[in-house]
Amino acid sequence: MAVIKKDALARSVVEDPTLMTGSMPDKDWMDIPAVFKPGNYAYTTKPEKLEYLNSQQGVSFPNARAWNPEDEDWKLPANWKEIILKGLADRLDRFRSLKIFMDCCVRCGACADKCHFFLGTGDPKNMPVLRAELLRSVYRKEFTLAGKLLGKMAGGREMTVSVLKEWFMYAYQCTECRRCSVFCPYGIDTAEITMMLRELLHLVGCGINWAMEPVSNSNRTGNHMGLTPQAFKGNVEFLCEDLENLTGVKVNPTFNRKGAEVLFITPSADVFAEPGLFTCMGYLLLFEAIGLDYTWSTYASEGGNFGLFTSNEMMKKLNGKMYTEAKRLGVKWILGGECGHMWRVIHQYMDTMNGPADFLEVPKSPLTGTVFENAASTKMVHISEFTADLIKNGKIKLDKSRNAHIKATFHDSCNPARAMGMLEEPRYILNNVLDEWHEMPKNTIREKTFCCGSGTALNTEEIMELRMRSGLPRANAVKHVYDKHGINTLACVCAIDRATLSALMNYWVPGVQVAGVSELVGNALVIEGENRQELTEGLRTLV
Amino acid sequence: MNLSEALKRNEEKILALWTERTLDTYESSSFFKKSQDRFANPVGMNIREGLAKLFRLLAEGAAAQAFAEPLDQIIRIRAVQQFTPSQAVAPVLDLKWAVRQILSADKDCRELLPELAPFDRDADRAALQAFDLYMDCRERLHKTRIRELKSGSYILTDSACASALIRDNLRELSPTGGCAADKA
Repeated sequence: MAVIKKDALARSVVEDPTLMTGSMPDKDWMDIPAVFKPGNYAYTTKPEKLEYLNSQQGVSFPNARAWNPEDEDWKLPANWKEIILKGLADRLDRFRSLKIFMDCCVRCGACADKCHFFLGTGDPKNMPVLRAELLRSVYRKEFTLAGKLLGKMAGGREMTVSVLKEWFMYAYQCTECRRCSVFCPYGIDTAEITMMLRELLHLVGCGINWAMEPVSNSNRTGNHMGLTPQAFKGNVEFLCEDLENLTGVKVNPTFNRKGAEVLFITPSADVFAEPGLFTCMGYLLLFEAIGLDYTWSTYASEGGNFGLFTSNEMMKKLNGKMYTEAKRLGVKWILGGECGHMWRVIHQYMDTMNGPADFLEVPKSPLTGTVFENAASTKMVHISEFTADLIKNGKIKLDKSRNAHIKATFHDSCNPARAMGMLEEPRYILNNVLDEWHEMPKNTIREKTFCCGSGTALNTEEIMELRMRSGLPRANAVKHVYDKHGINTLACVCAIDRATLSALMNYWVPGVQVAGVSELVGNALVIEGENRQELTEGLRTLV
Repeated sequence: MNLSEALKRNEEKILALWTERTLDTYESSSFFKKSQDRFANPVGMNIREGLAKLFRLLAEGAAAQAFAEPLDQIIRIRAVQQFTPSQAVAPVLDLKWAVRQILSADKDCRELLPELAPFDRDADRAALQAFDLYMDCRERLHKTRIRELKSGSYILTDSACASALIRDNLRELSPTGGCAADKA
């Protein structure tokens, strides 16, 4: 070991700029391999989960095995390259959108600085344009004349194990939030490129457990948690007992009841985990207050559809379950809870996958007579649309002072905002249930909203650091309204948000809690015959 | 001219160099350097603002407690990025180098270089504080992980099928192993 001279060291500390490591890459992006280390990748799918799924009808998840991204050898099938290229050819043939997205990007860079992963990491491969280029370069090499002839000069590159590893790294550093697409002059939906990357990776058995286990559970028992029908029912009833203690209102939901007018479906996290539980209490109280003729289903007991983050066949199958159940129960239409990506599936894919749902009626509020023309084809209405209509028609009584402890801001969840265009309804509700709430800066809300950073099944704790980086742009805007107005609550309409923003706030803006909009409605609701306790924390009050 | 005046006179140049070097630690830093929008560019602007505030406090000889806020603005971000602990806090120490670079290029200020010892001492204090803060952030990160695990969402991935659990229990109870459910 070299002997360090004290005076030389002291001089170097102040004179040499050596303490910093400039990170300017010295190689072309194509030549920088992805390096997997703890904290930057999500755990891989448990083989038994994949084997189970692969045994199911209508979906294919081959090559189940135990493998570790940190290992050199990913235990890929011997003909992995052929599988991938065949899979890509097949998808280019089936999905015209993919072919167009591969061809039409002019690399203008409008998307480059719009991704929360890029903004939180500074990693160029998190620029949506470059993330897409990971696939596009292989497409060029294998499927275009220029790429076949000119190779790298035409932006093409060979499909190698290193490229596959890079795909796995960056397909799981995209939450398919589609903020970049808002800015793309060609309307390229980068989320769909990520979806294709993930599909291709599944062909060789490379996926993450946090996506596949919920998918497997949903396929088996109907919800992400794997709750049995009795457990699901028991949890809802437990919340009803809490509500009775808090408000004196006896809530009597029904389950699997044939002939109900409405089927209500929400993410199972609302029935199971804090702070979604309080949102669920809000739904229950609201439906009781208006005497809605509705039923829960213990089979279609999940609004979330992690199939969207997995493969289009899986998405179709999980989505189909909701409609099959609606048909079995003979309801007129479906009311959906505060979920994010469920609404993207409903609005953008359901109709061509499983629709049109002709056996249902165009949703009509039994209280106000409002016909929800926007849901004429899918027959599914968002709880915020439904609630806003009730308020507008004076069908519920709200007391804002019951939310006196709340000073909020509102996070537009990516999918309800960008995939569904629901921007006004939650705001209208907040105006009616809160005395005070503040918007975040305008380039961080509505269709430009920043993702929570942990969507698309990235809400797993082993990548908490990554989630904190990608959630920084969102948290930074929350911090601004926290510093300026002293807000204490971040309201949202998405179950993944409720879980992930809680962790995000805990790191970046301690002192801000996360609440569903329906929880705030439940807090403010005045119900005839109630015997409400002094609820200083609303439905969260411990009595 | 005394040192304090020299630092004030060269503030812009020192900050420009210091910020540039700090943002150079990111692989693709041109957007971080360019965009002046605090919400479109949270890393670039928080670091820019944090460094500027910290420099002013150091230049005016403020008490060390005052460093906490600007340091938080910088370190909370770098603590969750892919830096080693030393890389995360290094920008604070790099100020000493940036100050020397700029002052030695200014002929009126060059002679003040030997007087920088108290300034250096304060910068060192800030760097040590930055390390404490880095550790706080890492601890908070891990507590957030634990909190999430405890909150019950882990059941999402680690739950066993209820009917399989019942079967396992029955199997354990049966002296011969196996249970009626297996035979069915």
